[in-house]
Amino acid sequence: MSHDAVRLEVFKHLFASVADEMGVVLRRTAYSPNIKERRDFSCALFDASGRMVAQAAHIPVHLGAMPLSLRACIEALEFAPGDVAILNDPYRGGTHLPDITLVTPIHLDDGTPIGFAANRAHHADVGGMSPGSMPLSRELYQEGVIIPPLKLVEAGETNEALWAMLLANVRTPDERAGDLRAQLAANHKGAERLRALIARYGAEEATEYMDALLAYSERMTRRLIETLPDGRYEYADFLDNDGVTSDPVEIRVAVTVDGDEATVDFTGSSAQCAGNVNAVYAITLSATYYVFRALIGLDIPSNAGCHAPIRVIAPEGSVVNARRPAAVAGGNVETSQRITDVLLGALAQACPGRVPAASQGTMNNVTIGGWNPKRDEPYAYYETIAGGMGARPGKDGADAIHNHMTNTMNTPVEALEYAYPFRVREYSVRRGSGGDGAFRGGDGVNREVELLSDAQVTILAERRKFPPYGLAGGEPGKTGHNVVIRDGEESEAPGKVTLHLGAGDVVRIETPGGGGHGASGDRDRDHSSTARS
Amino acid sequence: MRIGVDIGGTFTDFVLLDERSEEIATFKVLSTPDNPARAVLEGLARVSDATAAIVHGSTVATNALLERKGARTAFVTTRGFRDLLTIARQTRTDIYDFFCDRPEPLVPPGRCFEVTERVTREGVALASPDASELAELTAALSEARAESVALCLLFSFLRPEHEATVVRALRDAGFLVSASAEILPEFREYERASTTAVNAYVAPILNRYLGHLEDALEGRDFRIMQSNGGSIRSDEARTQAVRTILSGPAGGVVGAVHVGQAAGFDRVVGFDMGGTSTDVSLSLGEPQVTTESEIGGLPIRIPVIDIHTVGSGGGSIATVDAGGALRVGPESAGSDPGPVCYGRGGDRPTVTDANIVLGRLAPERFLGGEMALDVARATEALEELGRQADLTPAGSLTLAQTAALGVVQVVNAHMERAVRVISVERGHDPTDFVFLSFGGAGGLHACDLARGLGMDRVLAPYGASTLSAFGMLVADVVKDYVRTVMLPGDTAADVLTEIFAPLVERGAAETVAEGVPESRVTVHRELDMRYRGQSYELTVPFEDDYAAAFHRAHGERYGHGDADTAVEIVNLRVRAVGSTPTPTLRADEIEGDDPSMARQERRQVVLAGGTVEADFYDGEALRPGARIVGPAVIMQRDTTILLGDEDRAAVDARRNVLIEVNAT
Repeated sequence: MSHDAVRLEVFKHLFASVADEMGVVLRRTAYSPNIKERRDFSCALFDASGRMVAQAAHIPVHLGAMPLSLRACIEALEFAPGDVAILNDPYRGGTHLPDITLVTPIHLDDGTPIGFAANRAHHADVGGMSPGSMPLSRELYQEGVIIPPLKLVEAGETNEALWAMLLANVRTPDERAGDLRAQLAANHKGAERLRALIARYGAEEATEYMDALLAYSERMTRRLIETLPDGRYEYADFLDNDGVTSDPVEIRVAVTVDGDEATVDFTGSSAQCAGNVNAVYAITLSATYYVFRALIGLDIPSNAGCHAPIRVIAPEGSVVNARRPAAVAGGNVETSQRITDVLLGALAQACPGRVPAASQGTMNNVTIGGWNPKRDEPYAYYETIAGGMGARPGKDGADAIHNHMTNTMNTPVEALEYAYPFRVREYSVRRGSGGDGAFRGGDGVNREVELLSDAQVTILAERRKFPPYGLAGGEPGKTGHNVVIRDGEESEAPGKVTLHLGAGDVVRIETPGGGGHGASGDRDRDHSSTARS
Repeated sequence: MRIGVDIGGTFTDFVLLDERSEEIATFKVLSTPDNPARAVLEGLARVSDATAAIVHGSTVATNALLERKGARTAFVTTRGFRDLLTIARQTRTDIYDFFCDRPEPLVPPGRCFEVTERVTREGVALASPDASELAELTAALSEARAESVALCLLFSFLRPEHEATVVRALRDAGFLVSASAEILPEFREYERASTTAVNAYVAPILNRYLGHLEDALEGRDFRIMQSNGGSIRSDEARTQAVRTILSGPAGGVVGAVHVGQAAGFDRVVGFDMGGTSTDVSLSLGEPQVTTESEIGGLPIRIPVIDIHTVGSGGGSIATVDAGGALRVGPESAGSDPGPVCYGRGGDRPTVTDANIVLGRLAPERFLGGEMALDVARATEALEELGRQADLTPAGSLTLAQTAALGVVQVVNAHMERAVRVISVERGHDPTDFVFLSFGGAGGLHACDLARGLGMDRVLAPYGASTLSAFGMLVADVVKDYVRTVMLPGDTAADVLTEIFAPLVERGAAETVAEGVPESRVTVHRELDMRYRGQSYELTVPFEDDYAAAFHRAHGERYGHGDADTAVEIVNLRVRAVGSTPTPTLRADEIEGDDPSMARQERRQVVLAGGTVEADFYDGEALRPGARIVGPAVIMQRDTTILLGDEDRAAVDARRNVLIEVNAT
């Protein structure tokens, strides 16, 4: 340990606050609610060789994806001072098309490269076959405009041709332009702050502590892995289907722990499929890093060091490492959750006391598009609905909450009704949906929305067929349901579906409960964490 | 005469202002946590003027909420939404912790009830509360043994009649009811419900407490400090308990702003570093107010002074983590056992121990000499920390001193980040502000922090520990009103004026009813606006061309404003202010600049650059006009101020210490 323990801690704060302040600029200057309120974005700082030094992430699914964005940019482009690169191509540094990443190289006044600032934000629409760009697609080209790594700004000059081309391919160009400008401003802030930091501490010391912090996070991650008994831990689970055929899609993992290193091998997972639930490699990395990061249970910098001791094998052409031009809109939101589930299922064998049972395992994506008669204009609305958290060893799972790869806020009922021609009829805890056990899985949610005018409703949801598993003898959580109510008649709708509905029709989504933990006979009311009086 | 009374953990502070002589007097009484009113009455009994007006900051509601010792509360809402408080915004508080839980709602699911009724966004009733159902509801509430009821119906701010019907039925049945349209008639049902639930939860507790004091004070002018920095009459506070929740810290900020202005500074960063936590605030002539605060993880959407709190202070414990980084906090030694140097059994080094080891505190004079500090023990603990952190003694320093410097650097890194949050993240450049340090532990860190942030001046007010009570005493009467309207951004100004009228009238009348002469009442009108589609509102003053004001404000705050984009008016806000006559604090004659009459001794002090000889001064003996150049230490009754090399301090006419910080 050649580095100073004090400086290590001080630089930890310094680099983290650079990433934090980038996030503040992005949130404040962005235009769309998705970024401002739901905070669906991440900001990161990289060293000159492209290794991530600090990340401010609100959304775990961005964890492993940012480094790949940077690598794709470095491979594709020659950077000079004043450049900014843009990309969203899932097969070249992106994850799904709505997530647009901007990368800015940072130089000292004499032209020495000292690092990169990057941020990724979820745009509410990037074109494609349906409003909101989360369609039930069969190939990438249907999902929106594809941006390979390109220079959006070159030597300080915006590439107007690229800018115009992008905005011509989206449904809400003004909002997109505002959000992109916010992303530029965030990177600008990151660059400015890193330069100020170097002016205060010197390039040599700053670089030295970038390295030291990577080594620090790596040490902490290795220490965690060391606490797991050596061995090979396997688990498999299924996505209900790909939205096109009714065949289940298998995700299979083998985690091998060897001393302070782990190999995570997804060999044996299903081949990439016809629908949109394919995940690119970046998503599989994100889910893996998330799980290990959460197991560490300590506040350490999210940087490349956390990733060093973990090797991820995902066969190309499989559902966890899809090849172009497979559709990927749902891989980011649904498959990422199942990858997390199988990783936890495997690791529960290694450290049963630290791993919760399966949570709802879906984000229950609902997109509603139509004509707003009150405003006489088209609208597109996107939401994700919470569900049950898996029971934890020693604790019940929380009810009605977002789990694992997402954590976006809901839209208040009153805000929703002000903005769109809907009426929310129910938003409640779906009692009894959590799996029974010594500790009970959290309950899911009932959400019932009445349409006040004709609309197209797309639901992209999972765990309608295969329930979230319990652990240590706990029962699985209840599966979710999508129900349509027309003229008082209820009918069950598929998990992934596009519906054309009319005024007065009602969509009811019942989200899955979390799995239980431990045999229900062992339940001791005094030791359960949630009062259920 | 006016009296400000602030209850702290250890002491209850009293500040007395005689308006005629402009004299200020302060004293402290030991707090009585089992019944805080006892210390208040005990202190008041010591004041000869038995008719003086009293302004009081009560922590009773705050503690009831934080300790979850409030009333047994029930929640009533629109059918279909009884789980509103549980679902909250459906997010978890820590994304990387499987075992983290959201704060428990104040009302458990078993005491949440529904009423069949519905109002649309147009304010049209689709279903109205039915008498027989209300009878069932009151029976259910009785059976649930509810002591207090929070009522929040959807869109109640558009059609308060439904809530009023329910309130009548419940109050007739003897229930204490907080109704959302009365507490916060503003859209976003979860935040409104949460604010209302907090009110219902603490109201009975605050009621009992204030009732007891009112009885004892027999009709004296008795006012309560609110979280928005203004005061209201005690009986008003009882119906709006939620508005008093953050009154203590608010008093401190108001006091700091006042002292800053008296010293000639409008723009100040308030830095209140205590034993376990630090409050940072920002003022641009007036304290900044936010409607997005949380307490104990629960949102309250009433206007409160914007204070950012971090869990580090003088008692924060330093440790070395598994990866070899030296961490400070969030664990704190508190006052029991306290830092190692207290000799009460604490064995893990704190920030205070580090300062002792660095020679920055005179151990025999700590707290005015009331407590002798054990330097040897503190040194041992820091030496051990240095070994664990594998530190190499720097230059001529010992291992313990090297570790102590490290602890100070790390805690300063926390503080610097906190100041950046309240300034940079809110769109302000800290270098435009004066660093106003008024917490007990802050004086030792203020100059170094200001230096790190590029701020060139530090102000350390005299009598800092009673600043909160002083703030209460000078606080204006402030009453806030809001109403959600959701109107297009091209609504004619005179239409808005008309909608404003009843709120303005009510604000003025209620402020006059507070006992403020009409001539001292001003009513401010503001609009919460946004571009259509946005989810955040900006508050702008209401003027004829209010839309232009909005575009301008948006441009200033967010870097872009677009006059062609459709705008919405979300809320109307009215703030009625009954100004309290600003006391001129007596200024003493400026005397010579020689500080030698206060010089105590010369000691060795460790600064970042190494060990230096520094003069220690008795702050109480310094006369206005005295000038001191660092390195030096000024020991005041409330705090100890460290001047680094070439930091230049001057004592002003009110005995505040103003420091020009050496930038290098």
